[in-house]
Amino acid sequence: MPELEITKIQELIYELRVGDVMHKDVVTVMPSTPVSKLREVLRDNRISGTPVVENGRLVGIISVEDFIKWLGEGSPGCAVADRMTRNVIAVCADEPLIQAVNKLERLGFGRLPVLKRGTEEVVGILTKGDSIAGLLKKLDVDYRQAETRHARSSHIFEDIVADRSSLIFEYDVAGGGDVERAGASASGLKTSLMRLGINPQTVRRAAIATYEAEMNLMFFTNGGLITAIIESNSIRLEVTDDGPGIENVDQAMRPGFSTAPDWVRELGFGAGMGLHNIKTCADRMRLDSTVGVGTHLEVEILVGGKREVIRDHATVTA
Amino acid sequence: MKLKDVCKILEAESAWEADWTPSATREVTSCQASDLISDILSFRGPDSLLLTGLTNVQVIRVAELLDFVAICFVRGKRPEPEAVKLAEDKDIPLFATPLLMYEACGRLYAARLPAGTKKEASPIA
Amino acid sequence: MKLSEIMQRLQLEVRAGGGSLSHEVNGGYASDLLSDVIANAQEGDLWVTLQTHQNIIAVASMKELAGIVLVNAREPEVDTLEKAKEENVPLLVSPLPAFELIGRLHKLGLSGIRA
Repeated sequence: MPELEITKIQELIYELRVGDVMHKDVVTVMPSTPVSKLREVLRDNRISGTPVVENGRLVGIISVEDFIKWLGEGSPGCAVADRMTRNVIAVCADEPLIQAVNKLERLGFGRLPVLKRGTEEVVGILTKGDSIAGLLKKLDVDYRQAETRHARSSHIFEDIVADRSSLIFEYDVAGGGDVERAGASASGLKTSLMRLGINPQTVRRAAIATYEAEMNLMFFTNGGLITAIIESNSIRLEVTDDGPGIENVDQAMRPGFSTAPDWVRELGFGAGMGLHNIKTCADRMRLDSTVGVGTHLEVEILVGGKREVIRDHATVTA
Repeated sequence: MKLKDVCKILEAESAWEADWTPSATREVTSCQASDLISDILSFRGPDSLLLTGLTNVQVIRVAELLDFVAICFVRGKRPEPEAVKLAEDKDIPLFATPLLMYEACGRLYAARLPAGTKKEASPIA
Repeated sequence: MKLSEIMQRLQLEVRAGGGSLSHEVNGGYASDLLSDVIANAQEGDLWVTLQTHQNIIAVASMKELAGIVLVNAREPEVDTLEKAKEENVPLLVSPLPAFELIGRLHKLGLSGIRA
């Protein structure tokens, strides 16, 4: 476990560029600035050193140490140019952070000016603190993603030896307008699909289709069953109920057509977009309904790169 | 635009008990304004802000499914207790603004927050 | 600002109530909840919604709104269209999502706040 964490941090350091973590609002001074002015510049900006820039070009760097030395010598009247370090070591914004951190460490410097590659234009400044803060931030972001990645079982299909394999999740949906609890199936399916490592856009499509189907069961039926069959290259949803059935499937599919009563509309539902939304999310859709018997909905969503090709052939049959 | 800036523009305050400061600097890349669940679901943009007058638990559900950054309730409406519970559970910050929907949209638009699209930016990751 | 001018500048299409386009628009209101519009919209408001149900016409007429704009390329239902013609309520459509359309209306100077 600890080993794994270290590898992750190393990965991040290599991934991050100087430009990602540097300070972009750089305070600079000119060679002609009197050293006596430096106190304010450093104090007001809470910095311990600053690049010296002339005509947009980096010509030196001056730090609080230089300033203290100057004070020790009885503050003679002179300009920054007389006291600055001239052969400045700088880094480029597109350099990996790890290289810059090594430089800081090796040279014992507190800060490095950051240049736009191929120029002497100062675009930022990098301190040890920035590097650490940048890493922590990145780690935090990655941690959010890692939560799902952690439990990820995306390798499951590769590990199983079979000509075909599938995972089946079943969700019972209560009917009778139970608005409070509805939506749990879509949420559960989304979490599970994310853990399987399926890409978020595909997961969203499956979740939306499931959600709309779930709402239809909740509002219009006495309950039903949603089955999700997950294979390595597709997600298939089957939604079944035992009534009341849809009178006119074509009409029900039309965007905006709704039989919802006012109380349903005030909850934000009943805009007549449910089935249309499902169709938009699906690569294939099939809806069969018989009044008094029940409705059967099948939705297929392909995992991977095939969607654009197949999408135009999405069909609805009654 | 950062979530805390969005809140400032909308004069919004937190509408749940939990601490939302960890999310304050999250980027909000677009906005969707709607009071209809199905319409919200036809929207494809993660990292968006949802402006709505709906306050029931289903709004939280769809925000979860579509990966919205946060929800802001308009015209001073407060979320139902069940909705707050689910939002805290799913870590979706909730806010309330006294502004009407129209004014809230107008201000965010003027601050150059783009509207979300109806399609995923790139269909296949 | 007159409804006809807004229509032209934001490329809205008329579906019904073309006879009332010279109406003065005082401000904007956006909501998809009819009860909210009944409670809060004001006379002369241009109402942005994606509800296509015929009840929107009754609400607009009752509140004396300047007109209705359906967003997201939504088309009115047949009953809604008839009702709008009957009541002479301007019914316009836009392909833009609500947020974008409201943003543009706001930019034209159509406020959501009235004294």
